[in-house]
Formats: sequence, structure tokens, C-alpha cells
Amino acid sequence: MAEKKSLWQALAGIDRRIVYLTLLVVLVVPLILSLGLSVKPMKDVSQRVRQVFEQVDSLQYSGMPLMISVDFDPASKGELQPMLYALLRHAAARNVPVLVLGLWPNGVGLAKTALEDVGREYGRQNGVDWVFLGYKAGIDAVILGMGENIARVFPSDAMGSRLDQHPLMQRVRRLADVGFVVSLSAGTPGYLDWLLYAQSRYRVRMATGTTAVQAADAYPYVGTGQLRGIVAGMKGAAEYEILNQQAGFRQASTPAIDAMDAQSFAQFAIVLLVVIGNVGFFVAGRRRK
Amino acid sequence: MQRSVPLTICLVMGIVMMVQFFSPHPFSRGLLETVNTWVRLISGFALALGAGSLILHHTTKIRRKQPGWGYSIVTLSALAATAAIGWAAGPTMMDNKQLLINVIYSNIQVPLGASMFSILAFYIASASYRAFRARNKEATILLLAAFLVMLGTVPLGKVVWDGFPKWSRYLLEIPNLAAKRGIIFGVALGTIATSLKIILGIERGWLGGGK
Repeated sequence: MAEKKSLWQALAGIDRRIVYLTLLVVLVVPLILSLGLSVKPMKDVSQRVRQVFEQVDSLQYSGMPLMISVDFDPASKGELQPMLYALLRHAAARNVPVLVLGLWPNGVGLAKTALEDVGREYGRQNGVDWVFLGYKAGIDAVILGMGENIARVFPSDAMGSRLDQHPLMQRVRRLADVGFVVSLSAGTPGYLDWLLYAQSRYRVRMATGTTAVQAADAYPYVGTGQLRGIVAGMKGAAEYEILNQQAGFRQASTPAIDAMDAQSFAQFAIVLLVVIGNVGFFVAGRRRK
Repeated sequence: MQRSVPLTICLVMGIVMMVQFFSPHPFSRGLLETVNTWVRLISGFALALGAGSLILHHTTKIRRKQPGWGYSIVTLSALAATAAIGWAAGPTMMDNKQLLINVIYSNIQVPLGASMFSILAFYIASASYRAFRARNKEATILLLAAFLVMLGTVPLGKVVWDGFPKWSRYLLEIPNLAAKRGIIFGVALGTIATSLKIILGIERGWLGGGK
């Protein structure tokens, strides 16, 4: 007959199905109840997100467009899609023209949906207020090519219209004509390719929105001034939505703010589980001795 | 001949593009544009290579009735169906032409991709619980640092203790940054050395053949 486990041994070896269930509950309950506990502590927005917001904001004076590179796919949609919406809404509210492209073929569908949604919300016009370049194979060659001539890399936009037919593209010939670039990056290719080829070669001003797990890798480039800010993970997206709210911009939804309670509770639950596991492990080990 | 031609192209293009980087002359810029066009064209062929490799791998699996060969039929059928629909729809993303592709993308690819990544959260939670044990000094430091960063990066951490975000910021901006900078410099130097070895023909692994 199997030996009966002590309480401490049980704590050190909780069945993984219980761990999964715990996580499921702490993720789903806050999403259903919409507690809104995270909104107040986030009012104090981090400097890095504020920097990105201010850079986009400043484009309203120069009239130069914002370029957003959608360098993610549906797997990272949860973290990066809210950033895309927040950036597009900010640009629309400030009447800043936007160019959108993607270095990941699977991400352009997400970009198209976001552009159409925000376009409807703000009455933005294709070709005048935004141009959707789509995807082109070649990664670094695409960025370098746009540094010289955007229309040579993208002779037509994602909808098939010739680029020179769009009024916006009459004043945007190359990357130097773009005011600010934001790469929403979930890996490679991503912000690093933009840094290497657009920022270092063509001195393009840029920032990145990354998944939380990637953010630590991007920090050194903020210190050097190569990145003018980072929007990191879901929290970064939520902070951007808060900045949009504080500026009084119309927002159909705030998916990142709504998800922050779930993320907070999930991280607390993981920390608690690790503490419980360690307590059980050490007490059970000491008793065995 | 099979090896000397690619090695010569690599040597010449490597040196030419290195020099090109430092020259703002119109001829140099024109050369960059031409080379970029070629690179984009060749990148397009990589897609065909990838599709070919995928088909070869899965047909072999089906032919040999290897474990999980049924999934290979699903993969190949999905590939054939999506490619056929995409081919018929054409290259643009116009809604009226891309209805079926949009349906596949929005209702199959997006939910599947998001679900696969979401499952990771559950694995990470389970793995953290089982593997994160403060067995020695180093593991204890790692554990404490992880706690501080995890609790400092969520809004409710600040509600519990004001120090969580401060410590989290300190850890990310001082020790993490120092280590990352060291790694970046190391990687950059390694990349330069490897690039030079490839350009000069010392490193020939990229040619394939295993010799």
C-alpha cells in the first residue's frame, strides 16, 4: 500500500491539474466580473510609455506620418493587438497620417482589421489618412529598400491600388519622410531589424511595443537613445490606453485595461504557488532528516 | 566549380556591400536599391523552398506510415486548400475577392494561434511551481528577483506594497541592463568575426554538403 503523504509533502507536490484549474479561475473570474482594480494604480504611467505617446503626439505639428510595423502574428495578439489599436486611435484623434506594414505574413490580417475598425470609429479615409502597405518578403531588404524609395518596395498597397495614386504618398517617398516608426514586435523579424537598418542607417526616430518577455532585451536601446520609448506587454498597452483616456480621446474599447486584473491575479497566484511549493519542500525535507 | 562560384560571389558581394555602407554616392545608393530588389526576389523563392520541404516531409511520413501520419494528411490538405483559395483570390487584400481567405484567417488561424500561445501560461505556471526551488544561494536570489519583477510589473503589486515597482525597475534597469549590454557586445563581436569568416571563405557551413 502506498505510504500516506504528509501535509508538507502534499504542498510540495500539488497535482498539475489543480495548478491549471487555479490559474483558470484567477484568469477567468476577473475577466467576467470586470473589477477594475488595476485602473487606479496605473494612473502613474511609466516614463517609457509616456515617451512613445509624446513622440506620436508631436507628429500633429510636423504633419509627418507615423509608421507602424506589425511584426507579430495571432499568437501574440493578446498583448500586441491592444497596442496597435491604442496607437491607431491616438494617431486618428490627433489627425496624424499612418502607414502600416508587416514583416510577418501572418500579422497583416490583424493590421487590416484594426485599420478598418479605427477608420470607421474616426471616419478616416484610405489613401489620405492611412495607407496599408501589407507584407513583402525580404525583411532587412524591405527596410533598407524603404530607406531609399518606398514605392519601389511597395509599388501598390495591400488592396492593390498603386501607391502613387494615394495623396498621402505624394509627400512620403522614403523613410526619412516618416516622422516616427513603431515596431510592434513579438520576436524576429522585429524591432531589432528596424534598429539595425532603419534607425542606425537612416536615423529614423523609432520606438517599440514588445511582448512582456521581450521587454528586458529592448531596455539597453532606450539607454542609448536608439529607442525613444518602449510599450512593454499588456501593461504597457493598458498604460497607453490610459494616456488616451487622459487626453480625452474616444475609445470603443480598452481591452488591455480590462485584462490587467486577470494578469495581476494570475501573477500573484503563480508567486503564491511557488511559495507554497517551497514551504512544503523545505519542511518535508527537514522532517525526513 | 560547385563551391568556388558561391564562395567568390560571397567574397565579392561581402566586400562591395561593406564599402557601399560608407558611401553616400548616387552610384552606391543605386547599387543598394538593385541588390535589395534581388534580395527580395530571392526571399520570395524561400517560400517555395519551404512549401516544397513541408510537402516532402509529410508525404514521406504518410508513405512510411510513421507515427502521427494522419496529422500529415490534415496538414497537406489544409495547405492545398488554403493555397488554392488564396491563388484564386489573387494577391490583394480586397474584401470582395478575399472573402474565403478572410474566413479561414479570422476563424481558424487567429483563434488557433492565440490558443496555442495561451496554453503556454498554464505550462509556465505548472513548471514554475515544480522547478522554482530555493535549493541554494543562487536559486534563492533568482527566486527573489523573479518575485519582485513579477509583482512589480502588475498594477496590483503596487497596491500591496509600494516597493514592488521600485525594486522591479531597479532590477530591470541596473543588473539586467548591465548583463544585457555585455551580452549584446559579445554577440556583436561574435557576429563580426563569423561574418568575416564567411566572407573570406574560412567558414563554409552555409554551403551545405557537410564537408
